[in-house]
Amino acid sequence: MRSKFTWMLTFFMALVLQFSYAQEKTITGMVTDQDGLPLPGANVTVKGTSTGTQTDFDGNYSISTAVGSKLVYSYVGQKTVEKTVGAASTINVVLEQDAQALDEVVVLGYATSSKAELTGSTVQVDAADIEQVPVASVDQVLQGKVAGLVMNNSSGTPGSTADIRIRGVSSITAGNNPLYVIDGVPVANTDNADNQNSGSSLSPLASISSNNIESITVLKDASATAAYGARGANGVIVITTKKGREGKTAISFNTSYGFSNDAVDGPDVLTGAEREMLFYESLYNSYGVSDGFSRDGAKQHYEDNLGLYGSAYYDWNQAGRPEANWDEVVTNKDAAFREYNLSASGGNENHNFYASLGYFNQEATVIGSEFERISGQLNFQKSLNSKLKFSTNNSASHSYQDGLLETSSYFSSPRTVKFFAPPIEQPYDEDGEINLNTTLPNPLWIAQEDIDDSQLVRILSNNSLEWETPVENLRFTTRTNIDYQVYNYKRYRNRIDGDGASTNGYGWQSHSSRANYVFQNYLDYTWNVSDEHSIDFKALQEYQKNRYYYLEADGDSFSDDGLTNLNSSGNPTTANSYFTDWSIASYMGLLHYSGFNGRYVFDATYRREGNSRFADDNRWGNFWSVGGAWNIHREAFLADSNVISNLKLRASYGVTGNANIDLNLYQSLLNYDSDYAGTGASYPGTFGNQNLSWETSHTYDIGADFGFFNNRITANVGYYYRESKDLLLEVPLSLTTSFEEQTQNVGRMENKGLELEVNFDIIRSQNFNLSLGGNMATNENKVLETATDGTGEPINITTGTRRVEAGHPVYGWYMVSYAGVNPDTGVDEWYTDGEGSATTTTWSQANQVWQGESALPTLTAGLNLHIDAYGFFLDANGYYAGGHKVFEDWTRYTNGTDRFSLDLYNGVDALLDRWQEPGDIARFPKMEYTAKPWQNSNKFLYEGDFIRLRNLTFGYDFNQKITETIGIDGLRLFLRGTNLYTWVKDDRLKYDPETAADGFTSLTTPPVKSFIFGLNVKF
Amino acid sequence: MKRINFIYKVAFVAVSLVGLNSCTTDDLDPSTEQNKPVEGGITTVSNLEGIIKGAYSAMTSSEYYGRDYIITNEVRTDNCFANGSSGRFTTEAQMAYNENNDYIWDNAYDVIASANIVINQDVSVLEGDLDYAKHLQGQAYTLRALAHFDLLKSYGQMHAGGTLGVPYVTEFKGEDLFPSRNTIEENKTAIAADFQAGFDMMSTAYNDSSKEFLNKYAAKALQSRFNVYFGMWPEAKTAAEAVINSKLYSVLSASDFVGSWTQDGSSNSIFELAYSATDNQGINGLAYIYRLGPAGSYGDIQVIDEVATLFEDTDVRGLLPDDDDEPTGILGYEDNMLRNIGKYPDNRGYDNVPVIRYEEVILNYAEALLETGGDALTQLNMIPSNRGATPYTSATKENILLERRKELMFEGFRFDDFVRNGMGVEKVSPQQNLLSTVPYGDYRLAYPITNAETNANSNIVQNDQY
Repeated sequence: MRSKFTWMLTFFMALVLQFSYAQEKTITGMVTDQDGLPLPGANVTVKGTSTGTQTDFDGNYSISTAVGSKLVYSYVGQKTVEKTVGAASTINVVLEQDAQALDEVVVLGYATSSKAELTGSTVQVDAADIEQVPVASVDQVLQGKVAGLVMNNSSGTPGSTADIRIRGVSSITAGNNPLYVIDGVPVANTDNADNQNSGSSLSPLASISSNNIESITVLKDASATAAYGARGANGVIVITTKKGREGKTAISFNTSYGFSNDAVDGPDVLTGAEREMLFYESLYNSYGVSDGFSRDGAKQHYEDNLGLYGSAYYDWNQAGRPEANWDEVVTNKDAAFREYNLSASGGNENHNFYASLGYFNQEATVIGSEFERISGQLNFQKSLNSKLKFSTNNSASHSYQDGLLETSSYFSSPRTVKFFAPPIEQPYDEDGEINLNTTLPNPLWIAQEDIDDSQLVRILSNNSLEWETPVENLRFTTRTNIDYQVYNYKRYRNRIDGDGASTNGYGWQSHSSRANYVFQNYLDYTWNVSDEHSIDFKALQEYQKNRYYYLEADGDSFSDDGLTNLNSSGNPTTANSYFTDWSIASYMGLLHYSGFNGRYVFDATYRREGNSRFADDNRWGNFWSVGGAWNIHREAFLADSNVISNLKLRASYGVTGNANIDLNLYQSLLNYDSDYAGTGASYPGTFGNQNLSWETSHTYDIGADFGFFNNRITANVGYYYRESKDLLLEVPLSLTTSFEEQTQNVGRMENKGLELEVNFDIIRSQNFNLSLGGNMATNENKVLETATDGTGEPINITTGTRRVEAGHPVYGWYMVSYAGVNPDTGVDEWYTDGEGSATTTTWSQANQVWQGESALPTLTAGLNLHIDAYGFFLDANGYYAGGHKVFEDWTRYTNGTDRFSLDLYNGVDALLDRWQEPGDIARFPKMEYTAKPWQNSNKFLYEGDFIRLRNLTFGYDFNQKITETIGIDGLRLFLRGTNLYTWVKDDRLKYDPETAADGFTSLTTPPVKSFIFGLNVKF
Repeated sequence: MKRINFIYKVAFVAVSLVGLNSCTTDDLDPSTEQNKPVEGGITTVSNLEGIIKGAYSAMTSSEYYGRDYIITNEVRTDNCFANGSSGRFTTEAQMAYNENNDYIWDNAYDVIASANIVINQDVSVLEGDLDYAKHLQGQAYTLRALAHFDLLKSYGQMHAGGTLGVPYVTEFKGEDLFPSRNTIEENKTAIAADFQAGFDMMSTAYNDSSKEFLNKYAAKALQSRFNVYFGMWPEAKTAAEAVINSKLYSVLSASDFVGSWTQDGSSNSIFELAYSATDNQGINGLAYIYRLGPAGSYGDIQVIDEVATLFEDTDVRGLLPDDDDEPTGILGYEDNMLRNIGKYPDNRGYDNVPVIRYEEVILNYAEALLETGGDALTQLNMIPSNRGATPYTSATKENILLERRKELMFEGFRFDDFVRNGMGVEKVSPQQNLLSTVPYGDYRLAYPITNAETNANSNIVQNDQY
């Protein structure tokens, strides 16, 4: 590693030489704000040229120019200043706050707004926070930063998808994922890998390098999401890529290197010796009395009956009782992580550009899996003449994911081997070769021979032309965006051992392409009524079309080992292709009024959208919102206040929509993808529903923003209430119709909650800053109404563990209540009708009851600490989620008190807390030589509360003297740790507390704990 | 003037904006390249044939004749047990099933829905061979009868002390989308009528040598099974005789029997479901659960050790002496575990699955003759004499049931033979998963109706104690 960095520095020096030879007169100085605090990243340009620079982290700059030229100093939110270069070689500049452009600008997708003029609820995360978080998928940076956003990684496999829920869930069976917007355009965010439902998922967001992102804004309420109203019910995530900056070409090189391990080890399993002991105990408990042997005689009884019980333990004892440690052999300890990103940005008043090239590589924490991405970005803007401006944002990337069998508990997955492989069977044989003589496929062999590869090529091209029309303040923009994704999947199962052995090898390959086009035309008009009043209008027309083509083939009976393409398949078994499309057309009008010097702000938005998912007559929906804000601090009575620097009240109400359902559900269709006796067959496919239309959410949101002591303390507090109506519900049908469900607009659900964000700059000075911030959100979800059947009875959706019923949280936990182990008999007992009722030893005689919670956290919180002093900085970020419950899945096997744990697979070591003799108080019943059926109960339902130290970063920004000496503009080193510490409230919960959105623990890849060393150089 | 200019310019920009790409409702019509509408999608006889094939295909699913229906009716008896090696079927074997399991409820009604589309189609408006269309409708009636019969056997309360059968559905997307359960007697009447309609409408002109599609005599053969199940002996006798008199089928000889399971369309096969190298249930098929096979598989369903002693050494259905020159029997050992290695032997699931074969019809006939007073012994002995076993000296109910057990073992008949004769499931071997004997009349002899149905349709009365 040492040699690698030496090489990198050589590489920088070569570049440095190229960019720093021009010499005229060097002006240095410092740019500060009105309080004397340095402004890092302020622009310093030579007027009329393309020469320019930015101030460093300490507000210092250095620029070469001729005497007599003018330097322009600018910074977002501050007034621009010009200085003429004279004899002095030091020019220090103070930039005053610009009252009109107070604080930051918030990107809302179609538009931007200053924070003061927002009437909605939004949170923006900027580049500085994103760059230092090297992640495979950019949405991961949002966790803990946004009040009310809950993120669940369904898997820790690098590049896989995450479930994001903003302010709870608004839909029962339609999609609950937010809408993603990149550079003003809604993009397709469908998991391309979802056709192969047993492998790793691959998020389209994993194709975007986080280095290229300027900001991510989360739009939460109806006013903020109004512009995307028809699809805004689940919130909107707006991603903006970096643009070029005027001034000297700035080059930046970021590199990170690190390693990862599982954040949580997961449950420990029984050793061979423990498992053997429990096995003999099970024989004694089951047959000791009937066959007349004692507890101590159980081993002899076993050895006398090897024909009946199998000889596994006997053979193991003969072999010297070797312990297998499956967990260790499949772990990829200190899985490597690397990222390099080189970018350049520059321009003048006529054009600017941003270009970058990146490489990202992350290994999974188990053998045989990794993620790799190469990405490029080129953003370019040019003024064609004084009226026309052309802008193009382009990115291309190739992502490769060597995936795993996951999503369920597959015997041949390295993730499950710890739980399923008997610890008395060895991974390697006597010769040190992979042992293929195991009862389950050996994952060492599978990882070596089998293939689960995904490749995704994604090209995004966003092109617009902006025309300052002859009408003053009227601007016309036209935009075309193409999002093209080509996905390839290759699966191979070897001929020797595992899932392909019975068919002499198995191969499956698929290819899909998704083309998503968006065309936008819009008019912006600003009517400056007077100096104190202005109204912005926007009228937009948008058309989006998505075409998806899929092709797959599979085959078995491969001709030889090591040949994995279908070319070598002796028996091609499937050839399949299909094409689907959907389209959306919309018209949108937006009005923004700012009056009395920004004291009063009013927004109104209307969007009419048509969606191909609905029948002709119900295709169009109308969505709208209104919002208002009162900037009290701009009123005269507060203008001179030394205490209150910001006080804003805001409120909004609106109707947003959701159409996140499968295609063509409104039509009653026959499917033709079946066959019988070698010929094609057809069968009823969808029930159809001509009345199907939009699901709508009616949200009101009130809030207040505070700033005290020159915004040293800022806070905002808000309350929301969202009622979702006409839910797009998959209403269960009587199976006698041959359909499982019909999608109908029926049912209502509410979400309400309180959100709070506070930030306190405890110390603010030139060389020492300390700030502490936090956010907190509550969410209360309740189903208000469900569908009814022919007789008017409500149709509740019930599974073995969860239920949807009016008056309860959606998919609340609903299962049999466990009454514990009977101390006298050592058997499990359950309550027949919930806690307090009679108990039974027959699980099937116990009724399911409400358990009070769902998998959705009711309280989430984040805490951020920032310290910087003399170039050193420390950032810490913690996250809490709680008030929900998670369910340990697969307990029939992993927690089996029977042959599943003791004879066939393995069990967790918690089983050692079992009943042995009358009077024992134990968590688990007596071991028995039997195979019990599934008996789900709240015995395995745990409190889900956890705290996680999401991020801890320590770094150093080299001061200007050093950087000047080596000829660069900036140098930063940092060490970052993610998920270093996790606290779980319920100590029975051994798995990672971050489960998928459904609240079930899984045996698949948990989030990782990682250490990353990073280096950022600017020159 | 200036004002007009302004309005003109705004109007110009606005018009050109809308004109650039204006969208109407029609522009948003999605393409349906893989589907056709149900209404108006059937215009030819060949379309109708596609639908009936869809019904057959639904029968081949893993939950139905592809595996679960057959295994469930073996593993609940003294033939087989579930050893837990993948965790499959231990619940069924313990009869500890609950309403979270949909078993064959959805699959059987899928078959019925497709059959109803065919039955209710006005064939006179179709293009093509209209006689063939009628034949297809005959197949549809037979499939509808068979699927309802399978449902009734599984969910009906005949042996659990009740009177309720299952909803008898005769329309696709008909008036009553939330049907109630019919009585057992109503079901019996409707099933008998549908079998008869099937027989009447099918024509021998379309007999198919593959045996993968129903014909006239398959309807009669299935009817004989139905009549035997409900003890309708004169009707069972007539139905069996119709099949026998067709002279289309024969009892396989001892030398052909084991090999017939690897071949499609043998002379004893009346109706079998098609599986092939490209259309099979793979790891969710019968062989993968019955066998370990050469490369390993689930292998959960093991044969109870005592079963081996039922067969004489020369009986091809038992364990033939281990000799490399001799063909193996139906029973065999894999890893010291007694298993079915002869029926549906292909581990990849390529073998066809017989739904009804001639030997069953002979045994149905023998039982009907015994009950109605005929020469049952001759019929009964046609089976052992063609299996390398000693013929019986007398035809008794016990002998017939024993021979049914031997001949039809692993094909899913044993449970039905218990309950139709007023017997529960006896715990006779420690290997059985059942904890203790389940007496006749116990609620577990009727399967619970899945809560997917009871949740959606409050007209459905759940079976007792579920």
